[in-house]
Amino acid sequence: MSTVDTSAKRSALAPLGKPFAAAGGVLGIVAALLPWVTFGLNDGNWPDKSTLQFFDAPFLVTGFRWHVLLLGVLILVAAFAPVPSKGRVVRALGWGLTLVSFVNAAYITVKGGGLGAITALDGATAFGGVVGLVAGVLAILAGYGIGIEPVGEWKFKLSTPLAYLVLLLSFGAVLYAVAAMLTTGGVGSANPYAGAIFLSFLGFAAGVLGALSGVGYIRWLSALSEQHRVFSVVVLAACALLLPFTEAGNEYWMTVAANIGIYAATAIGLNIVVGLAGLLDLGYVAFMGIGALVAANFSGAATAYFGFDLPFPVAAVIAAVVAGIFGAIVGSPTLRVRGDYLAIVTLAFGEIFTRSAQNDIGGFTNGSNAIPGIPALSLFGAEFNKSFTIGAVKLPAGVLYYILIVLLVAATMAVFANLKFSRIGRAWIAIREDEDAARAMGIRTGKMKILAFLIGAMLAGLAGAVFAHKNGTVSYESFKFLESVTLLAAVILGGMGSIPGAVLGAALLFVLPEKLRDFEDYRLMIFGLALILIMRFRPVGLIPDAHRRAEMVERADENAEEAHVEAKKA
Amino acid sequence: MSVLLQQLANGVIQGALIALIALGYTMVYGIIQLINFAHGEVFMVASYGGLATFTLLPDDLKKSPAVALPLMFVGGILVAVVVAVIMERFAYRPLRNAPRLAPLITALGVSVFLQEAVRVFYPNAKSNLPYPKVFPEGNLTIGSVNISWTGVLLVVLSVGLAVILQTYINRSRMGRAMRATAQDPDTAKLMGVNPDRVIVLTFIIGAVLAGVAGIMFGGYLNNINIDMGFQNGIFAFTAAVLGGVGSIRGAVIGAFIIGLIKTVAGQYMPGGTQYDYVWIFVVLILVLVFRPQGLFGEPERVRA
Amino acid sequence: MRKHSVKSAAIVGASLLVLAACGSNKTEGGGTTGGSCDTSKGTLTVGVVAPLSGNLSALGVGIKQSAELAVDEANKKCTVPGFKLTVSAQDDEANPAKGAQAATKLSTDPNVVGVVGTLNSSVAQTVQPILRDKKIPQVSPANTNPSLTRGNDFLTAPKRQFDNYFRVCTTDDLQGPYAANYLVEKAGKKKIAIITDGKTYGEGLAAELQKQVAKKGGTIVGSEKVGEKDTDFSGVIAKIKALGPEAVYYGGEYPVAGPLSKQMKDAGLDVPLMGGDGIFDGKYIELGGKEGDLATSVGAPTESLATAKAFVDAYKAKFGKEDYAAYGAFSYDAANAIIGALGKTLEGGAAWDDSKRDAMLTNVGAYSGSGATGEVKFDQYGDSTNKVLTVYQVTSAKWKDVQTGTFTG
Repeated sequence: MSTVDTSAKRSALAPLGKPFAAAGGVLGIVAALLPWVTFGLNDGNWPDKSTLQFFDAPFLVTGFRWHVLLLGVLILVAAFAPVPSKGRVVRALGWGLTLVSFVNAAYITVKGGGLGAITALDGATAFGGVVGLVAGVLAILAGYGIGIEPVGEWKFKLSTPLAYLVLLLSFGAVLYAVAAMLTTGGVGSANPYAGAIFLSFLGFAAGVLGALSGVGYIRWLSALSEQHRVFSVVVLAACALLLPFTEAGNEYWMTVAANIGIYAATAIGLNIVVGLAGLLDLGYVAFMGIGALVAANFSGAATAYFGFDLPFPVAAVIAAVVAGIFGAIVGSPTLRVRGDYLAIVTLAFGEIFTRSAQNDIGGFTNGSNAIPGIPALSLFGAEFNKSFTIGAVKLPAGVLYYILIVLLVAATMAVFANLKFSRIGRAWIAIREDEDAARAMGIRTGKMKILAFLIGAMLAGLAGAVFAHKNGTVSYESFKFLESVTLLAAVILGGMGSIPGAVLGAALLFVLPEKLRDFEDYRLMIFGLALILIMRFRPVGLIPDAHRRAEMVERADENAEEAHVEAKKA
Repeated sequence: MSVLLQQLANGVIQGALIALIALGYTMVYGIIQLINFAHGEVFMVASYGGLATFTLLPDDLKKSPAVALPLMFVGGILVAVVVAVIMERFAYRPLRNAPRLAPLITALGVSVFLQEAVRVFYPNAKSNLPYPKVFPEGNLTIGSVNISWTGVLLVVLSVGLAVILQTYINRSRMGRAMRATAQDPDTAKLMGVNPDRVIVLTFIIGAVLAGVAGIMFGGYLNNINIDMGFQNGIFAFTAAVLGGVGSIRGAVIGAFIIGLIKTVAGQYMPGGTQYDYVWIFVVLILVLVFRPQGLFGEPERVRA
Repeated sequence: MRKHSVKSAAIVGASLLVLAACGSNKTEGGGTTGGSCDTSKGTLTVGVVAPLSGNLSALGVGIKQSAELAVDEANKKCTVPGFKLTVSAQDDEANPAKGAQAATKLSTDPNVVGVVGTLNSSVAQTVQPILRDKKIPQVSPANTNPSLTRGNDFLTAPKRQFDNYFRVCTTDDLQGPYAANYLVEKAGKKKIAIITDGKTYGEGLAAELQKQVAKKGGTIVGSEKVGEKDTDFSGVIAKIKALGPEAVYYGGEYPVAGPLSKQMKDAGLDVPLMGGDGIFDGKYIELGGKEGDLATSVGAPTESLATAKAFVDAYKAKFGKEDYAAYGAFSYDAANAIIGALGKTLEGGAAWDDSKRDAMLTNVGAYSGSGATGEVKFDQYGDSTNKVLTVYQVTSAKWKDVQTGTFTG
């Protein structure tokens, strides 16, 4: 049915496909070489020498203009070279071009005070933005004209050493891209245009990624890494551990990355409950809070309940166990309550937790004063919150936390992966798909559901224990309803039931607000809108889980709308 | 004793407010089995809509409550209905055949979005806004019990509207179509019922009731804030579940029970007002575990 | 094609958001120009850490904008020779973990000379050590928890906790007892009921008041809590009404206190409500604060201070109708303390580098000036030496000062 759909689109635009692509590509290159702004702005010059006429010096193109140039060239290549799924590739590149042009043109217009800044003013002309936008739109249309065919499939096999090399290079490129993304726009607060530079970079990255995915490379790569799973995991972990040595290896990003790691580990735990067992939990952050409180009380902080200091590993285990016990208690109504009602029970539990913590229940939480002064972790005399030197290399403060958390996330991922492909995991998936059928097949559904809550809560409790030491203070304010929603959003954004998805989701939900601090007033509004749009257009998430795909949409490659139409017909 | 009576009166007024919101929850759930988390925000938006209407009125009209008050109701209800219809059309309808988690998560997103949109775009909505004094002032005093006239009006409106709604659903043609759709959408369709129209109408009725609640809330408490929707929405949902989702009578009675639990538990339970909501949630959990269909609901059907 | 119309609508919506976001930034661009000072040595930054999004943003934005006002004025007056000053405001979302990220971001910028913030005490707890490690002075406009400066045993064995941490606001252990003295001795209210919002500020204030009331021979007849998001307080009011209090002390801020006061009166509990500086705001009366209600606030009465009036006028001129909220004046003073100390550190045209940080800390500690809240100076713990407190009362819909003094026990 999808072929009918796309061929209808093709008929209108088909003859224009290649000419449009050619025009888009050429205009993209021209746009990169034209000036983008007519004068220097109030807050300083727009970056990348954008008032300059680069036709005079085409080799000096940098930054966003380099991205525009590159996209233009790629569109030309894709249009005329034998590329699989040409339409998708051109369309994705066109989107990238449009986004980069739009972000830069819009920012200049608004910050420079009017359209004159991006067209003609006082004798100066700057049509780069306009030309770029036209080029981008042309390329998108060209994509539809050429036709949106299924994602290309690469059949050929590689010998093991060659496969290793490809994986190594690909993951290395990912590491480079992540570091580049984190450092675009600068780390400090000096650059007034940091938000725009970042968005522009994001547009470029989205375009290139979309093209790679369209051409079939991403699918091929994921199949390849699935084949060599152990090697991939090792390389990926090594890449994560190498991040401190890149440009992004500064104290600030280490702090952010460590927080991402803590939330990612928690999100993986939530993924067991929601993604695998299909039990919606709206109060999940409470388990993290319980873990953090337990660790805080055993940390020797001045206001801790217990006057002694347990070694961190012991405290972390206790934290996980206590959180797990609470998880089992909260999960027990699942024996009788289903679906939406369960969501409300967990929400109620979350509210009860915050209320009780705020009121210093049992003297464990120190109420509204929180438990401050939790000592930083240390190992062999190296304090985790201080900078750290290996040989001649001085690593930024917080790097040890980062390493600890990378290991924690890796361990959680391993637990999750093993559970998912085990008997228990299959039982959870069966319950998610159809509880009555699962019970009929002899699965003890009640026990399994409570087990899901227990294990999920234990992971959250463990993450909470690290959280307590990393942040040095535990307050009920860190564990409110909105945090639960954020965690849930991380799981959904990444893809329910998908292991890398939860990590990616948590990373995006942390990195984007950090990079887009210009928009902080709109942060939650955009967050809400994003939840709606994801559910509407890509309910499977960014990295869909193979099983989950089957449930969320009928055909893996089609988007939600087509599936919806299909479901309506059925 | 007089304290108990006063607390009971307070509970009834809080319950009346919650009931107006709970009716919207229960009707939507009854027909499309969707927990419309954002319904509390419809109530909040209506309150701001009413306030905006008042602000836009010419100065001489502001001084005459007899004109200003009805106009505020119209403005607030209009805003609530428009928001609810847009929400149904663009957020929920496309997901009608999606897995059950999807619309629930969408509803969370709508809730966050509406709250933030008001906070960012409504002038000075970052903190509480005072509500105009267009409501009857003064108290009704019976013995030692004090009830404000606005509170009395709230209870009367709430119960009255619930009765009208119940009659409408039981007697009218459209009400019959609603009940048919709730029972079995496919068969209803075969019988000539347009489910889309029925669902939109359900959302509109819910929004009208939430709109009335929004204006009355502002009038009764004299100030509004962007958090009021979430808090009261949760209580209203709890009330709907307590009464048995889908049942009009259940929602109203559930709401009064919730109102009474909050005030009476705050007075007499250990921990006092520190833990008053905790008791509401404890009751909710107990009801769900031991009588999942609620006090007046039918046992939950397993959906095909 | 329906799909595409929806998609394009989403894109248009998103672009409108982007435009709207940019639109609000536009006003900030032009504000800092117009001075004719020498700014040849570059730009130095005053950081702000406060909740700029979410439901505490009214207070956070007030803190941010007041700091911007102070920086603007300093730029016009060339307070720091050779440098232009800017404000870098970071959102902490009222979340300790996010606050740590914001503080780390500021602390890795070599041009950040000091930080104004935070609003929440729990966020301050994570921010303090991060800034201390980099020797960056932090001046809080709003943390009233005494343990932040003097440790847990702040009354019996005070000990300085962080040598980079200062505050311009008063602490709970002064304001609470001062209010208690006024209520019991001056106003003759022996039976007092306490209501708090359960948050650090209100709880701390109420706890200190409670101790002093007992000392002065009054009784606390009841102690209740309202939820952060509550709006209907009839249950709490009926409960304390039965206990027959002569006054109610509320620990918390004006958005709850105003409606609470009105509902008390409506329910027939017509006794004065008293609160701390969190309710000393014009909005309190607008939201229902009734005649006879009381509030304590730091410093001598605002009308008698030319500096306070100048701040209010300048703020209105710069930001129009937007409110500076409860902590704006404190934030203005905090920023000025940092700017003043910086001016002294770089006196004679010295350049800024990390070696100046020690001197900077010393200079903030030794700073003395007269600000919008009165005298701004710090004691050996980093607390404000301005122990002057004023009791205000609502009289004909306005706050009017009734007593000014210092807490002496």
